[in-house]
Amino acid sequence: MRHTTVRFRVPGDQMDLQSPRKRIMIVAALAAIWTAAVFGRLAYLQLYCYSDYYSRAQHQQRLIVDVGASRAEIFDRNLHPLAMSVPVDSAFAVPFEIADPDMVARLIGKVLDVPADDIATRIASSHSFAWIVRKLPPEKAERIAAMNLRGIYFQREGGRFYPKRELAAHVLGYVDIDEKGLGGIEYSLDDAIRSKPGKMLILADAHRRWYDSNDKAPDAGTSVILTLDEKIQYIAEKELAQAIHDTQAKAGTVIVENPNSGELLAVANWPTFNPNAAKDSAPESRVDRAASSLYEPGSVFKIVTLSAAIDQGITTPDEVIDCQNGAIYIAGHRIRDHKSYGNLTVSQVLANSSDVGAIKIGLRLGAPKFYGYISAFGFGQPTGVDLPGESRGKLRRLENWTPVSVGSISMGQEVGVTPLQMTAAVSAIANGGLIVRPHVVREFRRGNQTTEPQESQQPPRRVIRATTAAAMRRMLEGVVLEGTGKKAKLEGYTSAGKTGTAQKYDPDTGRYSTHDLIASFVGFAPISSPAITVYVQLDSPAGAHEGGQVAAPAFRRVAQQVLAYLDVPRDVPVAGEKLRASRAPVANGKGDTLSDMSDFAPMQAPAATADAVPPPVTARPEPVVAPPTVEIAEGDGIPAPNLLGKTVRDATEACLKMGLVPVLVGTGVATEQSPEPGATIRRGNRVTVQFSRGESFVSAAARGKIK
Amino acid sequence: MSEFYTVKQIDNSRLVRVVAPNHLRECARVVSLGALIALCAFLYAWQHFETIQLRYELESLRSERAQAGELNQELRLEIAGLRAPGRIDVIARRELGLTAPVPGQVAPMDLPPNAVVAEARPADVPAAQQ
Repeated sequence: MRHTTVRFRVPGDQMDLQSPRKRIMIVAALAAIWTAAVFGRLAYLQLYCYSDYYSRAQHQQRLIVDVGASRAEIFDRNLHPLAMSVPVDSAFAVPFEIADPDMVARLIGKVLDVPADDIATRIASSHSFAWIVRKLPPEKAERIAAMNLRGIYFQREGGRFYPKRELAAHVLGYVDIDEKGLGGIEYSLDDAIRSKPGKMLILADAHRRWYDSNDKAPDAGTSVILTLDEKIQYIAEKELAQAIHDTQAKAGTVIVENPNSGELLAVANWPTFNPNAAKDSAPESRVDRAASSLYEPGSVFKIVTLSAAIDQGITTPDEVIDCQNGAIYIAGHRIRDHKSYGNLTVSQVLANSSDVGAIKIGLRLGAPKFYGYISAFGFGQPTGVDLPGESRGKLRRLENWTPVSVGSISMGQEVGVTPLQMTAAVSAIANGGLIVRPHVVREFRRGNQTTEPQESQQPPRRVIRATTAAAMRRMLEGVVLEGTGKKAKLEGYTSAGKTGTAQKYDPDTGRYSTHDLIASFVGFAPISSPAITVYVQLDSPAGAHEGGQVAAPAFRRVAQQVLAYLDVPRDVPVAGEKLRASRAPVANGKGDTLSDMSDFAPMQAPAATADAVPPPVTARPEPVVAPPTVEIAEGDGIPAPNLLGKTVRDATEACLKMGLVPVLVGTGVATEQSPEPGATIRRGNRVTVQFSRGESFVSAAARGKIK
Repeated sequence: MSEFYTVKQIDNSRLVRVVAPNHLRECARVVSLGALIALCAFLYAWQHFETIQLRYELESLRSERAQAGELNQELRLEIAGLRAPGRIDVIARRELGLTAPVPGQVAPMDLPPNAVVAEARPADVPAAQQ
């Protein structure tokens, strides 16, 4: 019999692999293994390989670039920019990316107007980086960029521009391609003006888009504010150009200074240059003649001689000097006047520029005292002006003076001076006897902070007494009213100054040249309260060559315009019948065209060379008679009060009551005054009064000090 | 051996499931907590990506500002050139036919006590560019 076993299976009985629970467990186990693998890999990447991947990410994402700041700006005293930096494009090539260098060179050469070979040479000079051209004009950069040449890229750099072109070129200076100062203020204050680059840390994504940046700010440099006034500078340069054109002189200088503060309002030299294209200009055109060129001043130096003599009490303005009919012998040398003068007062010696008279006064003064005053006036040493390359001048030491030296130096030979030294010396006369350091930097500005130069802390130094200066001012006025400087007379203002016509030393012959002269005029205005000192020098004028003929008119034109611009109150009336109005249109000469001046484009300014004739200023129009202008008087002239014998308090009260400005020197009783009692002056004019103790009014009168 | 599978017929229709409120509360708590955590994670992720987006925009604005600064500098340079005294002098003399006044044409006046005088305002020096 066969047995069959029947087994009934009930759910819940013993499981096997094919049951759902087992499948779930298996899946769960696989999932767990997978998860563990993922986490293990994650842990490996994030923990074990962290530093490696982090550094690779940093390398890809981080960029560190230098951030250049613009070079600081230079302004005139009214904060008009004279020198500015603007970012410009510089083109460079990555040569290994360029498939056809010759084609690229041809295309770029056409844009830059440069031979294609030059460009090709630059490209071939390196494998990875080569400058094509630095600091391109914007339109040329745009044209090259529009070509979309592979391997040609642009980098922003700072470009230095001088928007007023030649204006104040010698004071501003210029920079090289790397914005390093090479002349003028750009050179002397390069460390302060130059900016220091910062750094920028940039994070970029895979598409090189920046998504974060941190920058160490660049140091922008210190802005410089000059004492120059761009309008006065323009007036000086324009009139200098006119004078150069009229006289065909080889060179010239005009300086305008505030005699009380030493601030230089204008420093103009010719030949000049355009700092935007300095490398294309002749080297001699970049010389700052005002500070660095030496010359023998000639008759202008008589100011020093007579100031010293009067200050020492050796002579007075009214003393009569025998000028020996225009000839004098010193140590075997015969020196002749330009005219045969007989007896002249000291004032007339200066007005007529008598060499004989000056020599006699100088001999009376004596070499030691004369040398002391010359040094005190600042000759033979730098003035301390904040311009580079200043010459100290040439003054022989006293022990090296020859027997003829006193005579020569008395009339302005055998001594070398710079225009700035001469200007500073005459300013001392103008301001009452103080040598003030001429300077061209007014202040520095950094952000919102302003600081003054350290040198400005130097106090002025007295060189002559105030009464001596007052007497000299009157005498110098005589030069303009009656002497060789008549062409320096101003309308509406009193003026004073001295002409000079000095022979130039000819190194070929070893003697003074008879045809190469330096004509000069230095003066100030108005006399009672001088606002400006103006110096004009013309080197080797052709034709008329005397200072009174060629330099004095330039002084007049400059001073007239500058005083009007500065709104200096007039101190003499303008004659009504002389009034004219110019309504005629300006004659069309070979003068400046508007196209020369319009739409300043960086790096396109034409270069000025020493050979270039300065653009002649358009001819002055013929005046048209106009009805006289009714002038509202500021106040009529009043007679100067007699302050002699008064105490300081009484003299001050008397001046203030009359609206005058007292300048009091010394203590005690008034023994001298300038202007003299009864002289016509105006309200607001200065009256200089010398006081002294131990000398009564009567004894002073007896000694002739008081008339 | 033959096997026969039998299936028990189980009738649960009369079985009433007992509601466990504690258990429900527990579940609700867990779900809420999970939702909160998910929300926080979502906010964190959103904030993170939003920050990155804002950084892009910030860098774009910085670049715009730098470009505007450069343009401003170029325009200042152009203005300075246009204001050059020589250029204005040429325009005044040649185009407008103006000439400088002769001394007598400018008459100074005494001002009344309360007069307000117009005067040129000096240009402001811009703060150092950073």
